[in-house]
Amino acid sequence: MATPTISQFLTGIDGFVSSRNATELADYLTLEPPFGDIYHKMIAELRQAYPAHRGEELEQMCGQALKTARSESWNAFIKFMAQYLAYLRDVSSDADQYLATYESLSELLQRANSALANVELGHLMLPTVISCAKCVCRLAIGLDKRPELIAHLRSATGGGDDGGVRESLPEQAANIVRGAFVTCLNDRSSGGGVSNFGKPQGKTVGIFVLANLCLKILFQCRKTRNATQIFENIYNLAPPLAAYPKSERVAYLYYLGRFLFTTAQFSRARRALQAAYDESPARPDCARQRRHILIYLLTCNILLGRFPSDALLSRPEADGLAMRFSPLCQAIQKGDVASYRRHLDLNSPHASWFLIFRLLIPLRHRGEVLVWRSLIRRAWLINGTRPRPDSRVAPQVDLHDLVTYFTYFDTQDPTNSPSDEPDADLAETPTYPTPHDPMPPLIQTEAIVASLITQRLINGFISHARAKFAITGVKNKNGDVLAAGFPTVASVLTLGDDEASDVPGWPVKKPSLAAGMLPRPGPGMVFNLSGARGVGA
Amino acid sequence: MSGAAQSNSNKTKATMSDSTVGSQPLQTQKPAAQLEEDDEFEDFPVENWAKEEEVGAQANNTHLWEESWDDDDTTDDFSMQLKEELKKADSSRKG
Repeated sequence: MATPTISQFLTGIDGFVSSRNATELADYLTLEPPFGDIYHKMIAELRQAYPAHRGEELEQMCGQALKTARSESWNAFIKFMAQYLAYLRDVSSDADQYLATYESLSELLQRANSALANVELGHLMLPTVISCAKCVCRLAIGLDKRPELIAHLRSATGGGDDGGVRESLPEQAANIVRGAFVTCLNDRSSGGGVSNFGKPQGKTVGIFVLANLCLKILFQCRKTRNATQIFENIYNLAPPLAAYPKSERVAYLYYLGRFLFTTAQFSRARRALQAAYDESPARPDCARQRRHILIYLLTCNILLGRFPSDALLSRPEADGLAMRFSPLCQAIQKGDVASYRRHLDLNSPHASWFLIFRLLIPLRHRGEVLVWRSLIRRAWLINGTRPRPDSRVAPQVDLHDLVTYFTYFDTQDPTNSPSDEPDADLAETPTYPTPHDPMPPLIQTEAIVASLITQRLINGFISHARAKFAITGVKNKNGDVLAAGFPTVASVLTLGDDEASDVPGWPVKKPSLAAGMLPRPGPGMVFNLSGARGVGA
Repeated sequence: MSGAAQSNSNKTKATMSDSTVGSQPLQTQKPAAQLEEDDEFEDFPVENWAKEEEVGAQANNTHLWEESWDDDDTTDDFSMQLKEELKKADSSRKG
């Protein structure tokens, strides 16, 4: 059966391999419908001459037509082209066929990865691998958002008899893209990956664009823990991030910042996110990207005691963010525990927004400690003792005052309503003065104060016998009780931050050849010391 | 092969973009806030840009963060309420 269009197409592809033209190769390997006329002719020929059961013949035909690949024993490329034609034959833009399209495309990407691994010619595949990975990424995320299309997969794979957890579809997609990323990362054929002019060379060009696609999938399907290895690999083996286009740099630093945020490394997260924000383009059509960075940067900074200025909140990318974050800042400022909790309550009108960005829990858990600190400060301002400057007695806050305040906040908490029936097990237990049992006992308040002292957010000690918090260091602050007892939050939480130090996951130096082969030392690594000489030898 | 080259200009991402995939009835059931925003970081429309185009290079890019925000005012409504609570607690202890 005559297939003139397929023959013509493969001759063209062979020409690009022969002339080492990676860009044209990727351009001709169109992946997304709607297709041009020549592709429609090819699809018709493929359906007629090479239906699904004639896969072997299709591959043989490709082998015959792709002379350069055959002569250079680049069989992986021939297999890739056969899968490309099969993909072309079967692809459908029908929404119900997304899963089939995804499966065909992920198979194509795996074959592309194999072709990419070829030492001599693999680099020709890089633009094709990237465009294919972008499609896989979009489809995987799209399918993850359409659970009804992959429900049968979930039920089939969700928890086997062995109790093991099977990979979800997005995780599989991320792993396939990761395969290409690793091939690029390990490309040592181009002398450390960076030219003398500081430009990435060979397959290392693809490191960050592929890493970002992987990270995009992992963050979208909420499998951020799987990203750990990507950041470690990049930190150990990648050329400096500065050698890459800014779009890739900013996206990578955004994901790194978010990753560090999820691991509660707020200071490092802040540095990555600040660099991402600062390097973003100020142009209006990039406001959405700046907004995403800013949302996490704002949260990090607030948790580190650095509040956004009005100027920052009035920027276009910050539109609407003031109503989300300013009430939190005000509650922290005043020590208003009830308002802080109310703003982050699940019934709050803001809760769904914070949940979308996965900020609700970190803000609740990490931010309230700052509110407590301000409350203790306010407790001293309202009713603390003020010994004369020459007195040897320290200024004090009565812990009973704090108990009173916490009790009041609990009555303000709509979720803390009393139960109608007392717990039988507690009936004989001595309880708090109110019938509704909302008052935190003194010991809980002591624990809160102790935790703040341990975190150095307040300076002093607890007198358990007298139920007082005593502020120390007043003399060193020339009698300024507030400065002694309550140092600014940022000064405490960013203490020891060295702006010049490395942020793990952010490569700034060119790895030497040796460093390129061996990861930088770190926990859990095994070193071969067979060549080491004895001490004094 | 001119047809192939021409086809590239006809390419649209709409078919497979997640915005299309995602804009299905499922999303209409979500709260309004979710329709407005998504935490997906979109690709930049350009690959590279000049240093002077960066946010950090703009003239108004200083004093964006405030570290000294402690509030010493004890006459505001919140402080007055706390004082009131102390009074109540005091009187209940005495009573």
